[in-house]
Amino acid sequence: MGELRDVSIVAQRAADVLLRCGGGRKVLLRLPAPASPGDTTEQLGLAVPSFQDVALEPVVFRKARATMADGKAAKSELMVSATAVNAVVGSLGYSAANVLFATAFGVLIDEVLMEIESATESEVGGATYVYRLVLRAPLALMV
Amino acid sequence: MQNARDTFYVTLRDRLAAVNPARTIVLRGVTRPGVLVEENELASATVPVNAFCLQWTGLTVDAQGALPLVTMVCEIRYATDGDSGNGGMDRGRLLSGMDAELVAAVSASPQNTTKMNYVGAAGGSGLPPVAMATNVFWGDVVFGAAVANGERLERVATVEVFSYQEAGEL
Repeated sequence: MGELRDVSIVAQRAADVLLRCGGGRKVLLRLPAPASPGDTTEQLGLAVPSFQDVALEPVVFRKARATMADGKAAKSELMVSATAVNAVVGSLGYSAANVLFATAFGVLIDEVLMEIESATESEVGGATYVYRLVLRAPLALMV
Repeated sequence: MQNARDTFYVTLRDRLAAVNPARTIVLRGVTRPGVLVEENELASATVPVNAFCLQWTGLTVDAQGALPLVTMVCEIRYATDGDSGNGGMDRGRLLSGMDAELVAAVSASPQNTTKMNYVGAAGGSGLPPVAMATNVFWGDVVFGAAVANGERLERVATVEVFSYQEAGEL
């Protein structure tokens, strides 16, 4: 058990180092404020939530495996340090990372808000060391 | 038209919640009945399962009468992966349960309600919605074929919603 924990800690540290060395940068995760319980007007689109931006670092943003199809927005990948995600999950009181990503409105990268299409994780010894987000660029930026 | 949409959503939400109070979703940290209008929520690639997602699609206006008759098509999308504890083998039963809930909510008598204006209630004003002069009424639900998408079972049902466009109403 102790070995597994050691392995997972080593993997997380190694991932952080690799992300920093591989062009590690900071992006902002845009999160909506919690909804108002029982507020029907919010469910009707009459009231909009406020947003807060939370920094994620280190991450690697890459288009190396970007997929493009005619008439569809480009997709890119964001590799995110599990250490950074765990800190946000813990500090903001989310139950899990997938809840955090499902709740997020998008990721702000160079002033462009990209939608999170999917989130997967890589783990060792039961602990996640990196998250891979597939992001979709806004249709307005389609060329 | 927007008032009719809002009224139909609130009515359907309340009826679905009465039919099965256990069907809930957590949206932005708040637990609420398992029904939402997609255009009123944040754009997201995530497809909620075990919940009813409303989309307003078709729209026709018949201006021949004293008040224009507006006909709108409401698509209700829902899907289930089954219960993970059952290995998803109950997904057919769960979809069938959602079919039954929808029939019970939409076809319950009366299939009409007073049109309400919720604009004044926005922004935490505390004001109640305002009842308007005409009704919103709707037909029976029409079910599309169930579609298997991997382990997920999905269905789209449609309901035609009718209302009269009152003078000065946007």
